[in-house]
Amino acid sequence: MSDNQRGPRGPAQTPARNTSQTLGEMLAERGVSRRSFLKFASYTASIMALPPTAATAIAQGLAAARRQSVIWLSFQECTGCTESITRAYSPSIEDLIFDFISLDYHHTLQNASGHAAEAAREAAMRENAGEYIVVVDGSVPLKDDGIYSTIAGISNLQMLQETVKDAFAVIAVGSCAAFGGIPGANPNPTGAVPISEIVTDKPLINISGCPPIAEAMTGTIAYLLSFGSIPELDHLGRPKAFFGEAIHDRCYRRPFYERGMFAKSFDDEGARQGWCLFEVGCKGPVTYNACATLKWNGGVSFPIQSGHGCLGCSEPGFWDLGGFYKPLSTAKGDPLKWAAGAAIAGAALGVGSAAIARSRRKKALKAAAPATPKALEKEK
Amino acid sequence: MRRENGTSCLDGQTTGMALSVLAEVGRLLEALAATGEPGAIDLRSLPLTDADRVQLEDLLGHGEVHAELAVAGRSEVWETGYAGAWWIRHRGADERIATEVIAICPAPDILKAHPDDIQAAARRIRRELEVAQAPAAADLSETPLETSHV
Repeated sequence: MSDNQRGPRGPAQTPARNTSQTLGEMLAERGVSRRSFLKFASYTASIMALPPTAATAIAQGLAAARRQSVIWLSFQECTGCTESITRAYSPSIEDLIFDFISLDYHHTLQNASGHAAEAAREAAMRENAGEYIVVVDGSVPLKDDGIYSTIAGISNLQMLQETVKDAFAVIAVGSCAAFGGIPGANPNPTGAVPISEIVTDKPLINISGCPPIAEAMTGTIAYLLSFGSIPELDHLGRPKAFFGEAIHDRCYRRPFYERGMFAKSFDDEGARQGWCLFEVGCKGPVTYNACATLKWNGGVSFPIQSGHGCLGCSEPGFWDLGGFYKPLSTAKGDPLKWAAGAAIAGAALGVGSAAIARSRRKKALKAAAPATPKALEKEK
Repeated sequence: MRRENGTSCLDGQTTGMALSVLAEVGRLLEALAATGEPGAIDLRSLPLTDADRVQLEDLLGHGEVHAELAVAGRSEVWETGYAGAWWIRHRGADERIATEVIAICPAPDILKAHPDDIQAAARRIRRELEVAQAPAAADLSETPLETSHV
C-alpha cells in the first residue's frame, strides 16, 4: 500500500455514523437520484483531472459510503477559508458535497455554543473513533504555552492533539494551517506553526491558499469519500490535482510573457492591453495553484484576469517574500531571485521558466520559511 | 487569450483543436465498435476557444436523441450526428457549464435509470397503493353490506 492509499478502508467501509444507511440510501429518501451522484462525480473527475471514465467509479464509491463525520477546528485564522467553502455556491451540483458530510463541529457555523458545542465535538469523536476527518484552518501558537489563542479554556495545541488522536485523516485548509500563513509572518509574535509541525502520525493533506479555492477543498473531500484513500500529493503535501502546475504555466497572459510584453505599471498601455504582470510583481511563476483554471466565484475570474498580479498566497511564507509589487527579477536578497532568474532566462530564450523555477523552488521556499519557535530560540 | 471583461481575443478564432477532437472521437468510436470499450473526452480540460467549440459542435452535428435533465441543476445530453458519440453538458450554479464531456458509448449512464432507483421506485409505488387502498378498505368495513329484499 502506497502512502497515498493508507486509508483504513475502501469506499464500502467508509466512516460509520450512528446510522447504517449509505449515502445512496439516505439521499434516495430525500429524492436525490443516482443520476445526481453521477453528475457530481463527473464534475469531481473533471476538476481533479481524472479520466472522465472515472466518474462511474466515483459515483459508486460515494453511493456506497457512509456520511462522513467532519470536525472543523478554527485556530489563528480570519474565517476566510470558511467563507470560501460556503459562499462560493448556490444550490446546484457543486453543493451536493454538503449532503455527503456531517459537519459535527464548526465554531462559526454550528448553532450550539459553549459547553454544548464542546459536547458535540466530543460526541463526534467518540461515535466515529478512527473514522472522522479533522479539518483545521488557522495556525497554532506555541509561544508562552500557547496562551495567545485558546478555546473552551484550553490552548489550540491541546485541542488539536486531543481531537486528532482518533482521526482517520487531517486536512489543513488555508496557508495559515498549511504553512503558518500571516500569523507566522515575521516577527511571528505568537510562535505560530503549521499543523504539519504538530500532527506527524496521521495522514495529512495541505490545501493552501489565502483562502483556498472551494473546489480544491470539496474535491479533496469527495476523493477521500469515493476512494477511501489520500489523493496524490506534492512535496508540500498538497493534492497534485490542484497544485501540480504553476499559475504562470496556465495563465492566459503567458503568450505576452513569451514575447517580452510586460505592463510596467497598473495604469500604462500594457496594463490596458492585458500584457504580462511579471514586472509589477506577479508571483505566478513560482506559485502552484489552480486559480488560472478553476478561477473564483464560480469560474468568473481570478486576480490576474482582474488586472492584479498573483500574490503567491498558496506558497509557504508568501507574506515575507519581498513585497507584492516588487518584481521577482529585482528583489535583491529575495530568496525568490533564483526562480525569477529562471523566469527571465526563460523569456530570453523563448522557453518556459517553470521547469527551472520548480527545481529551485524548494531551496527558495526553505529560505523563506516562517520563523518558528525553534528558529526564534536559535536567534536568541 | 482572455480579456479583462472575460471575453477572449482568441474567441473568434479557430485553432484546429476541433479537428483534433473529431479525430479522437473517430478513434474512440472504432474502439467501441471493435471491442465494446467505452471512452470519453473531457472538453473542459482542453484549450478550446469559443470558436473551436462552435466548430466542434458543427462538425459533430446533432442526431436523433436530445434530452434535457433536471438533475442537481440542468443538464443536456444529445447524440451527435455520429451514432455512439454523445455530447453531455452539465450546468451548475447560475447556469454556467460545470462539465462538458463527449461520451463514446451505446447510451450514457446518466440517461439510464439506476437499478437502486428502480427498486426504490417499485417500493414507493407499493407504499402509495397501500395508502390509497387503506381508506377504501376501511370504508368497506364500516359500511353494512346491502341485502337484497325480494
